[in-house]
Amino acid sequence: MGLVKSIANAVKYIALHNKKGLFGIVILLFVGSIAILADKLAPYDPYAIVAPPFQPPSPEHPLGTNDIGQDILSEVIYGARVSLYVGLTAASISTILGLVVGLIAGYFGGYVDEAISGIIDIMLAIPSLPLIIILAAYLGPSLNNIILVLVIFGWVGVARVIRSQTLSIRERTYVEASKAVGSSSFGIIFRHILPSVAPVAVAYVILGATSAILTEASLSFLGLGDPTAKSWGQILYHAQARNALYLGLWLWVFVPGLFIALVGAGFTLLGMAIEDYVNPKLRYA
Amino acid sequence: MVTRFLYVRLLRSLIVFLTILLIVFILPRAMPGNPASILANEYQLPSSTVKVLIEMWKLDRPWHEQLIAYFQTLFTGQWGFSYKYYPRTVYELVMERLPWTLLLLGTSSVTVFLTGVGLGVIAGWRRNTKVDSIITFSAVLIYAVPYYWLALLFQYVFGYLLKWFPITQALTPGMIYRNVFEYVADVLWHLTLPVIAMTLTAFASYTLVTRNSLVDILSEDFILALKAMGLPDRTIMRHALRNALLPPVTMLAIRLGTIVGGAVLTETVFSYPGIGYLIYESILYKDYPVLNAAFFMLSITIIVANLCADLLYMLLDPRIRYTRG
Repeated sequence: MGLVKSIANAVKYIALHNKKGLFGIVILLFVGSIAILADKLAPYDPYAIVAPPFQPPSPEHPLGTNDIGQDILSEVIYGARVSLYVGLTAASISTILGLVVGLIAGYFGGYVDEAISGIIDIMLAIPSLPLIIILAAYLGPSLNNIILVLVIFGWVGVARVIRSQTLSIRERTYVEASKAVGSSSFGIIFRHILPSVAPVAVAYVILGATSAILTEASLSFLGLGDPTAKSWGQILYHAQARNALYLGLWLWVFVPGLFIALVGAGFTLLGMAIEDYVNPKLRYA
Repeated sequence: MVTRFLYVRLLRSLIVFLTILLIVFILPRAMPGNPASILANEYQLPSSTVKVLIEMWKLDRPWHEQLIAYFQTLFTGQWGFSYKYYPRTVYELVMERLPWTLLLLGTSSVTVFLTGVGLGVIAGWRRNTKVDSIITFSAVLIYAVPYYWLALLFQYVFGYLLKWFPITQALTPGMIYRNVFEYVADVLWHLTLPVIAMTLTAFASYTLVTRNSLVDILSEDFILALKAMGLPDRTIMRHALRNALLPPVTMLAIRLGTIVGGAVLTETVFSYPGIGYLIYESILYKDYPVLNAAFFMLSITIIVANLCADLLYMLLDPRIRYTRG
């Protein structure tokens, strides 16, 4: 497939020419393999009670044990799965939604565009985190609800950029030529416009993942996360609720937060490199 | 014209505000059950109380009457009683907490903006030097650090281990102040850690935007012309900055919500008695009247602050005064 090939080309280019991008790729490969190999890497089942609670770090439990005697290192390792799952799922759905809305607004123009742009303007002005908090509080704690809430706010930025890109591509001569020979709107969007805006969309999946992971962690930290899914934010919530720092268990707080920051930096570095590769002018539009 | 720009912005703020209120209206009513039955379940309320609640919120009436009642109670400040702090009214609670949040938000918006833009200007002015890449790279690295995590670590190191700053609250409990200065000093002492934690985790995006915008402006012809005229760096910088500052100011307007979000989390970590901590408590105790009211006040704060940022933008950019918003 063309898309896969061009993504491979982009990754190759970034790895060779963009040091920051390469650093991002290395971070993501590292955390990605932790997530994939979690069941092999984790010394214990993160849900099993394997030791007395509040154990300080020891050779058996390098990060100690939590308030009910689960191994914190295993929790952190499995947390990579939950956090990456939430981040990538929310970012992918948001991007697809934003792509569709942006293509429609940009291609059809007129009233359709004005209506959609109006909604986009309003959504951008809404203070998202407080509203996300209140939405999550009402919807109830589950991983899918959190993804839903993230998508509600995630598509807006993508739609805005895709819309303006579509607007300019629509005016190109090859699109006009295609119209002249009688192609349908649907055909033009799919054959001519989508391939040009797809790389931007890929960059947005990557950048969107950062904010999705950070927001999920924030919600979990406030006690709005899915209590059955051990994400890094959830681990921090329990550590904070049990005053981990003042029991001498500072690693319980330090390590999960470090992983959140690390993954966030990895996605941001890679996303910025992809944006640079796709369209250097676009970055801070 | 000036007035036209202002009208457009005011209208937009109004629409945003109403949208937010509508979401908070629809949400609990779209859930399975209704707000009264959710409460009844949560607090084991007797059926007589449920009847009063249904009567109060007009839940048995058509939705447009409910909406009118909702707006009436919201705008007249009749927000009912808190479940957690029972004899106290929601209005009292929220109004008592609001000044603290405004203080924290105001201070940290200023420090975030100044730090972010300041570093961005340095990086942009010395573009493609070592200083530039150090600033840019650290900005990207710190961009994804969670507020509350850094806040927790600061609390531990500077509050608990070194004992330089207090760990929680906004005032020393039980302290008697001999004069205003002591009071202000105590407030500032408690404010330091939260503000530093928020500044460090939020300045990065301003740095990146300012740097790129300054680099763009510095490559424009008019800067070359100024240089050709032999003007000192200081003068050139002044001309460049006036243009380069527009994107970060726009961003301040758009991202104030992010700083507010940071305040919610920071207040939670520091048990700072503001709206954010109130929101956290009301989630914890399912104190819905407080949650709604706190959110309402927070939205107003953000929208007013947004308008202020728009005015600042208008002052900075004379072009806007003569074109349509």
